[in-house]
Amino acid sequence: MSELETAKRLAWWKRADAKKAVVLWAIFTLVIGYVASTIQTRVMGSAASENMSSTINMIKIFTWAASPVAGLVAALTITTLLGKRHFGDNPPPEAEHEIRNSPKVAATWVVVSTLLCLFAVIYGMVLVQKDENNLRSANSLNIDVTGQQWAWSFNYVDNGGAQSADLYLPVDKHVVFHVTSTDVMHSFWIVQMGIKVDANPGYITETATTPNKIGVYDLRCAELCGLYHAYMQKQVHVVSQADYDAWVQSQGGKA
Amino acid sequence: MTTVTNRPAPAGPTAPKKALIERLSIITGLLLGVVGALLCWYLARTFLPVNTDGSYIKTRMDQEVFIAMIGWFVGFMTGMGALIGPFRWLLGKDLTHDENMFYAGKDQGVKRYFRYTTDHKVVGIQYLVITMVVFFVGGVLAMLIRTDLGHKGGNWLQPQTYNTVVGMHGITMVVGAIIMVTGPFGNFIMPIMIGARDMAFPRLNALSFWLVVAAVPPLLSALWLGGIPTGWSAYNPLENQAPPGMDGFIMAICIFAISTMVAGANITATAIKMRAKGMTWNRTPIFIYGVVASVALALPVFPVFFLSQVLSGLDRATGSTFFDVRGGGSPWLYENLFWIMGHPEVYVILIPSLAALMEMAPVFTRRPLFSFNLAIMGIAGISGLSVLVWAHHLYVSGWAPLLNGPFMLTTELISIPTGMLFLVLIGTLWRGRVWITLPTAAIYAVLLNFTIGGITGIYLSDVSADAALHGSLFVTAHFHYTLMGSGLTAAIGAMVYWFPKMTGRMFDKKLGWTAFWITQIGFQITFMGMFMVGLAGQPRRVGAISDFFHQGNVIATAGAYIIMAGMLVLLHGVVVSWVWGVKAPQNPWFAKSLEWSVANPVPLENFAVLPVVTEDVYGYGKAQS
Repeated sequence: MSELETAKRLAWWKRADAKKAVVLWAIFTLVIGYVASTIQTRVMGSAASENMSSTINMIKIFTWAASPVAGLVAALTITTLLGKRHFGDNPPPEAEHEIRNSPKVAATWVVVSTLLCLFAVIYGMVLVQKDENNLRSANSLNIDVTGQQWAWSFNYVDNGGAQSADLYLPVDKHVVFHVTSTDVMHSFWIVQMGIKVDANPGYITETATTPNKIGVYDLRCAELCGLYHAYMQKQVHVVSQADYDAWVQSQGGKA
Repeated sequence: MTTVTNRPAPAGPTAPKKALIERLSIITGLLLGVVGALLCWYLARTFLPVNTDGSYIKTRMDQEVFIAMIGWFVGFMTGMGALIGPFRWLLGKDLTHDENMFYAGKDQGVKRYFRYTTDHKVVGIQYLVITMVVFFVGGVLAMLIRTDLGHKGGNWLQPQTYNTVVGMHGITMVVGAIIMVTGPFGNFIMPIMIGARDMAFPRLNALSFWLVVAAVPPLLSALWLGGIPTGWSAYNPLENQAPPGMDGFIMAICIFAISTMVAGANITATAIKMRAKGMTWNRTPIFIYGVVASVALALPVFPVFFLSQVLSGLDRATGSTFFDVRGGGSPWLYENLFWIMGHPEVYVILIPSLAALMEMAPVFTRRPLFSFNLAIMGIAGISGLSVLVWAHHLYVSGWAPLLNGPFMLTTELISIPTGMLFLVLIGTLWRGRVWITLPTAAIYAVLLNFTIGGITGIYLSDVSADAALHGSLFVTAHFHYTLMGSGLTAAIGAMVYWFPKMTGRMFDKKLGWTAFWITQIGFQITFMGMFMVGLAGQPRRVGAISDFFHQGNVIATAGAYIIMAGMLVLLHGVVVSWVWGVKAPQNPWFAKSLEWSVANPVPLENFAVLPVVTEDVYGYGKAQS
């Protein structure tokens, strides 16, 4: 294409297809962002800890940050379908142009995707730091968790070694779990609290959370561990401090 | 290419009879393989010392199984004729011209597909067929999984059966996906596309295919040897605990890894050394870049896969403790080795699929590929970064929490080169005249599916979100969007695109479109349902679930049956088109790349005169016409 023809072309934002794409982009961004984030938060249910609510929040924010990208891809591809379609066994006439590159578009695309990526990384790093600090918080309740095929056992080391097969936690108390396994790998996952760490034979791994709602939650094994992996689930009872103390004593520990 | 001079055939009493290489085929291969397995098993049973360590009762059984499988492997490959070339070379008598032509499958009709044939076109067709067979098996297993979970509470299959089905589904689909583009199209199309008469090492080409076949019986034997209760990732110490079926799995992986390495070396050498005169790197089609990036990425990582399974096998059969913490080993070592292969492997699958789409987009929009350089940069960027991200599979393993941050960075950086490939595809579609065909539909479907797969990947790459989502069905849905929704859809598009050249017939349009719509709709239903139950907290790889997840799983299972219907229509379409399809013209898509410049069916040596390339293949657009 000659220089002259290039000059005669309309500026890109005045072209009909570009206008169509921009309108579609706005619509898709709003629809995708709204529908996806609403469904996600609804399906993930109510959070039983700060970890889970910040994860739900993060997913909502990532969804809104990603919806313009998804919206743009959808808008541009659908615009190309709204334009000159061609059917049949013979090829369409050659396109009116032979643009092989657009350094501006490419540069903008790369810069914007880099910025989005950095946003995700920095946001993620902040949350990682928070989890990390969480592990080192003073005045927390320590519980040893042992996975074995196909059951969990809990040792309340700060409560004089009371033991149980279901997990009991006092509400609003920071808990650190020290997790290990006696046979194969398992993964300690309290679904509604958004925490998970593998139970490895021979090593102790840690995770921490503060349950903030009284109720019964799900503990599941999240690492394939053999025959009855699917049945390796337990209940997590989050109770008031008074109920917890009473329960610990009934198990032979001290409050 | 061959430098062998036409020597007179060796005289002797055997001369008028059939030569040895003419007698060998898959039948002698199977025969010798079975004999080898039985013989080795008998010898192992008779002569192996009795296990003195009573605590490892199954060790001896593992030793017997491994030795029998090595017997199968050596016997099968010998029976196929894999050793004839090396033996001749050892004796200082290379193959004669006639023998080479025989190896290339000259004048043998259908029989050449069942022999150790070196012609790249034969190998391409063999790969296409075996890919479909593998996907068929994997698909049946997928339906078993979904049927189980469609029942209220699951538990339709016995737990041991369910775990084995999950593991077999995983490994068959992964193997199928690894070979689905570089196997059929990398072998059949690539040499013609670069203007070569065959691959750089035709015998290695035959070797790589028959190694895949040799890996199948050990893998299937796992079903009769107690199954594989570990999933395809085969984590230790569970792998060490598993029944002898695991040995079949280990053996199959080792053989498959060798096949991938052999194919990788061959394809890389071909693309580097055998391009036609004038085909500079700037004029090399993007599909070649994709195939080379894929196999060149497999070259360093598959040896690691091989190694991880060899060490696992030693742990099982000899009582070594590479991954056993009681003997100073570490299960985290296995996880690392596995994912050092495992994450690049998904790009080994995806890159050639996306490259095939980028190859097709200019043809169906009649305009040049948008930003060829950006496409190469994207492919190179993904390949480079993909070897630096493996530990995002280990965020919650407890191994080296300090590394979570750096691995989150590298993982999320991959979205940048991936975005480049999106721009190339969209930029090529933009303002082109879109020719609505099945390959075009594949491009659009992949753009949609890969957007969803990519964005959900960003949630998973975040360390604290991964603590909630890791090991749930959300992950399963995510990688099915990338590998199936994107990779497989692109591969099917590529199959329809190159079908006329490979089979000489057009793909049936009506059946193709029916299959496309059914599978795509079923796909969205299945995996959207799976995203939901995953977010709600359903773990992966469980055959029994709480009633809470029933609704979502019924949706996913219904979707899976729709996919099955679509896939059966597609299979029907392949058979109908291959056998009764309309004869294809030489260049049905009016494309400019070299593979369309040869006749149907493609002559044995592709080009009578090797072509000379003077421009790239994307010269579409008004200015040219």
